[in-house]
Amino acid sequence: MQAGWKAKFLLGLSLCLSALGSPIGEQFDEQLTLKSLRDGKVLSRFSFTTLLKGASPRNPQTLGSDDISQHYTIFPLALGQILREYAITEMHLTLNAGNWNYDRWGYPEEAGVGTGAELWAWMGDGPSDTVDDRWKGLRNALAGLFCASLGSLDEQRTTAPVRSFEPEGNLPDWGPPHQIRHASLASEHVCTENLTPFLKLLPCKSLSGIASLLNPHRLFDADWHGMGVHVLWREGEGVEVRLAFQSISDPVRYSLGRKQDWDFRTLFDRTIDRKCPVAQSSHVVVALPTSAEFDISPEPTSNAAGLATFDVATLNKPLDVGLRWRFDFQYPLDFDSPTSSLSVQRTLRGSSQARGQLSLVLKNHRNTSLHVVYLETMPWLVQFYLHTLQIYINGSRNDDAMSDMTYMPSIPHARPATFQCVLAVPPGGALHLTMDVAKSFLRYTEHPPDAQRGWDLPPAILTPFDPTSNRSANDPIGGRIYTPALLVDLATPDFSMPYNVIIFTCSLVAFIFGSVFNLLTRKFVVVHIEPTKDKKE
Amino acid sequence: MSSSKSHSPPVDFGLAFPALVAGRLLLALTSLPDALKHDHQLSSALTSYSNLQEGIYLFKHGVDPYSGGSFRHSPLYLALFTTILPVTGVGAAIVWTLCDAVGAWALVNIWRARQRVSSTERDSLVAAAYLLNPYILLPSLARSTSSFENTLMLLSLMFASQGKASASILAICFLLHLHPPSMLLIFFPLLMLIITNPTSRLASPRPFKELNPNRDKLYPLMAECVLYACTFSLASTVVSGGTAWIMQTWGASVTLPDLTPNTGLWWYFFTEMFDHFRPFFLMVFTVHLLIYILPICIKFQHDPLYAAFLLIGVLGTFKAYPTLSDPGLFLSMIAIFPEMYPYFRHPIVTALLHLHASLLMPLFNHLWLHQGTGNANFFYASTLVFACSNGAALVDCIWAGLRIAIGEEKEGYAVVQE
Repeated sequence: MQAGWKAKFLLGLSLCLSALGSPIGEQFDEQLTLKSLRDGKVLSRFSFTTLLKGASPRNPQTLGSDDISQHYTIFPLALGQILREYAITEMHLTLNAGNWNYDRWGYPEEAGVGTGAELWAWMGDGPSDTVDDRWKGLRNALAGLFCASLGSLDEQRTTAPVRSFEPEGNLPDWGPPHQIRHASLASEHVCTENLTPFLKLLPCKSLSGIASLLNPHRLFDADWHGMGVHVLWREGEGVEVRLAFQSISDPVRYSLGRKQDWDFRTLFDRTIDRKCPVAQSSHVVVALPTSAEFDISPEPTSNAAGLATFDVATLNKPLDVGLRWRFDFQYPLDFDSPTSSLSVQRTLRGSSQARGQLSLVLKNHRNTSLHVVYLETMPWLVQFYLHTLQIYINGSRNDDAMSDMTYMPSIPHARPATFQCVLAVPPGGALHLTMDVAKSFLRYTEHPPDAQRGWDLPPAILTPFDPTSNRSANDPIGGRIYTPALLVDLATPDFSMPYNVIIFTCSLVAFIFGSVFNLLTRKFVVVHIEPTKDKKE
Repeated sequence: MSSSKSHSPPVDFGLAFPALVAGRLLLALTSLPDALKHDHQLSSALTSYSNLQEGIYLFKHGVDPYSGGSFRHSPLYLALFTTILPVTGVGAAIVWTLCDAVGAWALVNIWRARQRVSSTERDSLVAAAYLLNPYILLPSLARSTSSFENTLMLLSLMFASQGKASASILAICFLLHLHPPSMLLIFFPLLMLIITNPTSRLASPRPFKELNPNRDKLYPLMAECVLYACTFSLASTVVSGGTAWIMQTWGASVTLPDLTPNTGLWWYFFTEMFDHFRPFFLMVFTVHLLIYILPICIKFQHDPLYAAFLLIGVLGTFKAYPTLSDPGLFLSMIAIFPEMYPYFRHPIVTALLHLHASLLMPLFNHLWLHQGTGNANFFYASTLVFACSNGAALVDCIWAGLRIAIGEEKEGYAVVQE
């Protein structure tokens, strides 16, 4: 008991001191958004924002000289050191598991929902270290920080797709233009070893506040889950670090009957017992259903525009927000009106291990024409045959639907292909794009241990935009849409017999070589054959 | 319809040749090319029609095809196919058929030059041996660019046989840009052929000096060769707008960047090779190809055309990215050396090996890559048999070329090697 008091006193003292001695103001806000989806599932999105007021990213021109000293109280130092070491202006890292279903769940609260790991960063060009050197350093440092195989996001996965990944914050004007680097690894699996370092970056860890709901047992049991770290600079405000966690849980699965009722206990198996003392604001926001009758408990702090807001700081603890329906859940059998404006389907067709066909189907659910930036960042394992690209609009051939194509072909063992174009989908219509691809044949040492499983190909990214407006990203049509990752089946050699192959081939070459030189070097002679004895003439 | 005409030798060449070409054209106009163009045995990574089309597409859309990894055709193809030659449709069918027709015509002319006559009864048979050889017909239907390489090879040999030195050098320099190993192997006997004549002297070997070679021609020829090679290189550089084509086209035969299965010995060997031995064995395999040039040229100095023929056989067996048309050229060329037919060593064994390999290769390739019921070793084994059959054909021809000098065997005597 005494020890507990002491600890609390010390904590308070240190907080006061740090608040006094802090060179720049820091602000921490946390928010949990909960939303019931049409198919009975619940989207929960945690967002922890730390703002370093008045700070600016490091100018890469100063990379050669000593950096300013870093003193933070709330801002995660481990991340701050990486950002300043490699002079990163903007960075987004997401680790997701599962496929986001846009048709049923609508657009996610956090746009980055691509399967596996995805990292993209905007960096200024500097005199001493090139952008690629710093990109390599960044991914290795983040790999260490988050215990993820981000080191595999090497040159064979790195691309620079400017159009689909516009900066979300502002880019300072340092002279040389900023460059983007993007890489994704669909086979990366997010798990509890990634969540632990994620929680360590939070000022209250998972001890208090909204973060205490981050229970790995429940989060990794969800139908879809993913975490993200976003760093950006807002001009006039400062550097913002946003740690986000999204999950799709299924309360119908947990319930004994057929109820889609949920509360913190059923979703996370925890309640909020304490508030996080350093949080400027701490809110739980519940999107209220419009159609059904329901009860919400406890009484929300405020209720406006279909959103019930709970202030964690003022409400009674333990706080357990819950939503209860009057009637059983009826599973909607038809999804004839998808919640997104665009449905995407991407498949790799063909059973052959030598070639295949990439097929993309876009369906526009709006009654106006839709322009989409289509981005493929394909590892060299699969090579595009662009001359076979065909586009069908509502079943009839129309290659004019594609415009603004940029293409950077892949280089085996070195660089992925980047294919980007703008597709125009007519109102209520469907666009069907097909392209033949060739599958590569790898050296036996390049195959993974489970070679027969195949290779995960990164998701394609589609960014709908309004052709009349100037900005393509973050417009009302919705953000980036990630297709599910693909699995490609590559031909495998026999792994057990490198020695045999070397021996067989070498023997055959030696045999033919020997026979040829035997003929070329030895003279032909005529011998006389007698029944009893041989006699040479 | 064309084959029936070719089987009876005393057929008028003026009738049989157009009939054969027309038959070929009809085949090329069917849907066969689309079905065959992806086949790994008919076109390699260096000669594939799909890759050529892709490169032309990129070139037309302002992307440097050599900035990627898959386009390995010469810039000269880009220049030709984006300007005068059609690459798709009926036009392409005509181009590839014409290419084969020119090849067959060149082979007939080599045969005529060797016999020192303006036409023979065998002409139709020689043309049929080229146009109806499935090893040449199928890659051509698959629109593999190896057809162009074969035709250029035959054209350079034809001009050399006819004493048209400059034309021969021009053709071989063009070939250098399409496929450097072919040029390197054939260059030496080609020079010997230009300064002598193609008459058959297999039965009466004598030193090269006694053939009265015109040595004074050599130095101007070499200079001409350097000039043409430089001109073509410059043209390639201008067409592709850089020097990236050098590593992409010439480098590919040495560094083997693409391990797509083909009929040769290299691809599986270097798929299974330990990484730290790769450069060493690449060097060994490259040098191994070159090692045959000098001994064959020395042993067959009395008949340079025959030496060139044998080196084409070596190439078909051991080159880095072979297609069926490479051994096919060797086998078709046997038609112009009828004098050695009685002296083949094991013709039945060789023919059966070829039959075995040509039936099993497509089968095992399909089972491995498309059916999914076989594995890579099956196809590898059939390529080993194919290499055996090519090696056996080569040994047969070398044996026959040397044995012919001894003449008929008499009763009670046998010919052996010392």
